[in-house]
Amino acid sequence: MLTEKEILTTLEMVQNEHLDVRTVTLGISLFDCVSDDLERFMANIHGKITRLADNLVSTCDRVGEKYGIPVVNKRISVSPIAVAGALFSPAQMIKIAKILDRAAEDMGVDFIGGFSALVEKGIAKGDRSLIEAIPQALAQTNRVCASVNVASTRAGINMDAVLLMGHTIKQAAALTAEQDGLACAKLCVFANIPEDIPFMAGAYLGIGEADAVINVGVSGPGVVKKAIDRALNSDPDMDLGQLSELIKRTAYKVTRVGELLGGEVAHQLGIRFGVVDLSLAPTPNVGDSVGEIFQSLGLLNIGVPGTTAALALINDAVKKGGAFASSHVGGLSGAFVPVSEDLKISAAVESGHLSIEKLEAMTSVCSVGLDMIPIPGDTSAETLAGIIADEMAIGVINKKTTATRIIPVPGKKAGEQAHFGGLLGGSVILPINNEKGDNLFIRRGGRIPAPIHSLNN
Amino acid sequence: MKKIVISVLGQDRPGILAAVSRILFEQDCNIENVHQTILQSEFSGIFIAAIPDEMSVDLLHLELSRSVEPLELHVHVKLLGNNQPDQTFDDSELFVLTARGPDRKGLVAAITEIIARHGANVTNLKAIFRGGDNPSDNIMIYEVDIPAHTDHQTLYSELREKAASLGLEISIQHRRIFEALNRI
Repeated sequence: MLTEKEILTTLEMVQNEHLDVRTVTLGISLFDCVSDDLERFMANIHGKITRLADNLVSTCDRVGEKYGIPVVNKRISVSPIAVAGALFSPAQMIKIAKILDRAAEDMGVDFIGGFSALVEKGIAKGDRSLIEAIPQALAQTNRVCASVNVASTRAGINMDAVLLMGHTIKQAAALTAEQDGLACAKLCVFANIPEDIPFMAGAYLGIGEADAVINVGVSGPGVVKKAIDRALNSDPDMDLGQLSELIKRTAYKVTRVGELLGGEVAHQLGIRFGVVDLSLAPTPNVGDSVGEIFQSLGLLNIGVPGTTAALALINDAVKKGGAFASSHVGGLSGAFVPVSEDLKISAAVESGHLSIEKLEAMTSVCSVGLDMIPIPGDTSAETLAGIIADEMAIGVINKKTTATRIIPVPGKKAGEQAHFGGLLGGSVILPINNEKGDNLFIRRGGRIPAPIHSLNN
Repeated sequence: MKKIVISVLGQDRPGILAAVSRILFEQDCNIENVHQTILQSEFSGIFIAAIPDEMSVDLLHLELSRSVEPLELHVHVKLLGNNQPDQTFDDSELFVLTARGPDRKGLVAAITEIIARHGANVTNLKAIFRGGDNPSDNIMIYEVDIPAHTDHQTLYSELREKAASLGLEISIQHRRIFEALNRI
């Protein structure tokens, strides 16, 4: 028999603390769609996506209603297009992006990921075509997300690709200048990209994955914050070890929801269940902020000294709780700190507590990287590449995933507001220091070798 | 083997279970199920026991009544038939329905009328009405066994409509979500 407490705390989490399944992402392999005829390739892609995803949205809604937990987003990830469409030119790649966009629209999903290339060790013909196509592809579509992996712990950092991405981001911003560079919000540059991320914009279906797979992203920063507040209310003297334990238990509960609903959606669709990605992923809504957790833990604001330590504690506790709750944990699992998507984080930038340098330090212990950061529109491609290279180095050396999703907002300066709308939110534009002048280091190109992993310090 | 069901009702106090179970033991009866609950100050217990074939149910009732008389309890004893209709459905699932809102007469009647009309069976109900308009003071938690053939959408929408007209917040969730969240 269920206890009254079990029922009422669960209701509280759903009704007042934003407990939900943030995304159910259907991964679809496109390798069996390959053809040297573009029209046929595109028809195959559209046919396979619409066949497999036909019941995705209705099934998610039905399962969500059964358990009283909404599945907020339904998404699709596909094989990296740079591999599946390696034959095609940049102009043809743009057409492929449009067919992905149409398939996503036909299926009623808000984002489709996988307009992606893996170039950590070298850039092949298909990779170059795809990267060249990215600015137009993202500007001319609404739902397509792109990602490029430019570094890994085993390969090092491909600095040619890093510089290329600096230029690509600039072009993408210029093509969507009217929308504050919106295309860049759909473009991630990665080190050590996982093959099974359900969250956008980095989702794609890895080469080692099955033909189709259901991956689930659960969130719940509001649940974690309220749990901390309640615990500290009844015992204000809790130490950080006890708070870590509390976050762990809360993360366990949140992950169980994803495991249950994801498993049922997969079963009903007859598709294998892949992983649960438990990431504290905020939205620009009150009570759904990662930034608020820092204040609940006792920091004046996110960004003040102590922030990196607090984030390390949160990230680790979330991973531990999530790992115990799910049979297969994957994706990014941890805490996201996307500036424009989190009311408290963007407010901390505006009040001067949080700078891009502090954000970079935080990414050495968070689960992703420099995420959704608007910067001045006149930032050069080389400076952008420099920021990317720094972020990739953190990932490569620390054997973790890092990424950048930076938006140089055309025509706007530091201190002005950028608006991206919807889940992407908005934020004041952060200044970039020390950016003036040439950056010969970045222009040298080549590959920064893979690091040694003995002699650690 | 005969089976009986015994219900015991009265003001709660120490020794009720001891008194009833002692008589059953002395009469060579074997208790199969017991459930007891206390609402405010009132005790209610239900026992199912196997009794020797030759035993008279009326006699056992008399013995039990006599033994619990000093405790001011009411006892009812009934013989269980061999073919008890099974109220659980072959193909059904357990849902938890929770409703909170301002107290008024007729809340339980309104909700259970809809559940009954759709052929679903309430397997557990806990309701607390402390009065007033604070939703957390007035809570009903039903565990409901809903047959697979029931039209869930119609049932849900009727319940939600009724809840809205009574000012109740209602939620209907499959039982498994509570187990998944709270139990290892």
